[in-house]
Amino acid sequence: MQTVIETKDLCKAYGKRLAVDHIQLHVPQGCVYGFIGPNGAGKSTTMKMLLGLIHPSAGQVFLLGRELTEKNRLALLRQTGSLIESPSGYLHLTAQENLRIVADLKGVPHKDIARVLDIVHLTADRNRKVGQYSLGMKQRLGIAMALLGDPRLLILDEPTNGLDPAGIQEMRALLADMPAATGTTVLVSSHLLGEMEQLVEQVGIINQGKMLFEGPLRELQRHSRGTLTMRVLQPQKALLVLQTNGISVQFREDLLTLPPLRDDLVAGLVQTLADSGAGVVELTRHTKSLEEIFLSLTDSKGGV
Amino acid sequence: MLYRCIQAENRKLHASPIWLLFFLLPVISAGYGTFNYMQNLGLLTESWYSLWTQHTLFYSLFFFPAMVAIYAAYLWRLEHLGHNWNLIMAAPVRPLALFFAKFVVVLKLVLLTQVLIFALYCLCGKVFASLPGWPPMETLLFLLRGVLGGLSVVALQLVLSMLIRSFAVPVFIALFGGITGMLAASRGKGLYWPYALMQYGMNSNKSDDLLAGNYLPFLAACLIWLTLLFLLAQLLLTRRDVKS
Repeated sequence: MQTVIETKDLCKAYGKRLAVDHIQLHVPQGCVYGFIGPNGAGKSTTMKMLLGLIHPSAGQVFLLGRELTEKNRLALLRQTGSLIESPSGYLHLTAQENLRIVADLKGVPHKDIARVLDIVHLTADRNRKVGQYSLGMKQRLGIAMALLGDPRLLILDEPTNGLDPAGIQEMRALLADMPAATGTTVLVSSHLLGEMEQLVEQVGIINQGKMLFEGPLRELQRHSRGTLTMRVLQPQKALLVLQTNGISVQFREDLLTLPPLRDDLVAGLVQTLADSGAGVVELTRHTKSLEEIFLSLTDSKGGV
Repeated sequence: MLYRCIQAENRKLHASPIWLLFFLLPVISAGYGTFNYMQNLGLLTESWYSLWTQHTLFYSLFFFPAMVAIYAAYLWRLEHLGHNWNLIMAAPVRPLALFFAKFVVVLKLVLLTQVLIFALYCLCGKVFASLPGWPPMETLLFLLRGVLGGLSVVALQLVLSMLIRSFAVPVFIALFGGITGMLAASRGKGLYWPYALMQYGMNSNKSDDLLAGNYLPFLAACLIWLTLLFLLAQLLLTRRDVKS
């Protein structure tokens, strides 16, 4: 599988602080890649370096198999759609006029405007001034701008910011379908892992400028597996069963707390507990917050 | 690529308040100039030429640099607001083409303003001052020279407004520039200072021609300043990180 975005030891220093610290990014072709980290982790800075908006202090960027240089930057940008630190746009103009400006700059025929307006559901509002738009609508306009000209690569910085739950769902559906529908590769950043989980196949986790993890989402999910809480009718029976199975368990206020376990183990345990007559009433799995995953990744030194 | 950038730039001016200024400033300078001329008929004896100096004195000293500054500041303000720097710099166009497009748009406004200045000059001369005949052809040449000298003011103000996010600061610099331009011109150092070039060109503060028979240094100064400012813009646009 070809790598559409690759960085080698990408660094950006502001004074003595490394905002981006030797980042190695590998985004395979035709996937949705989630670039995840808390605010200020270096996501935007990295994405801006991918577009040549800011200059790396060290390291290289490869887009679509070619190293990004001053010479081929325009050729590579022609195949790239982006939305950075959204939302942008000219507030005194309508959405239609804004898209005409972007189409002119990109050299894209104006008939493509109707298509992208339709995709982001702004066709009905296309003649309203963008200044009157809600944040979510501006965000969708930003996506439409990025989609103009059907780019092979989309770089979207926090595109779900300011969207309502329905909008987030819609955005997810749109982006998830994109590789299959048009062959586009999508790099999308977020500070919420939960928001990305239903969307991305590959993830990169960044914190304080350092990449903590990169790989398939499945692998990361092993790290995000949290403790289990169980309520049973007969706690003493349950404790006995769990202890004989070698599970360390805490019992407090009628609730049993179990350590993170693999899915097949959990299923087996529930079966055994039911057979023993412990009476399982409730079982809750706690998902770790991004911060907790960071801690667990940092503890294991980034290895999986 | 350049044409596409200019077109995009033109679209941004749609429904913008900048056109108000375009009418306002020439009308003020024409009104003031005609009034001044009518009040001082004893001193100002060279009919069309005298009216010309009255019409264009304040225009080329203060109004022109301020007007160019406002045009330039307005065009860059559109990019400073929101996160449009990211938008334009991630577009597949050369950064200098974006700058050049803004230059062309300001130049277009400047040319139209000059035409309006001339139209008002003719109108006031005939209707209010009842001057005989038509204005001398030379005044058309002055206008053209004014544009040539004004080119570096346009480029300079675009560089300033590109760097300075504030709207007002570059406009104040332009007003100050107009005054320093006058001082430089009065000491014969006008060719070394962009703000003075426009005043030289318009020939607005004396009745004898400031540039008589001396076009080559003037044209060379215009060209050198313009080249330097474009090189500066290119450097700033390609070497600096985009901040939005």
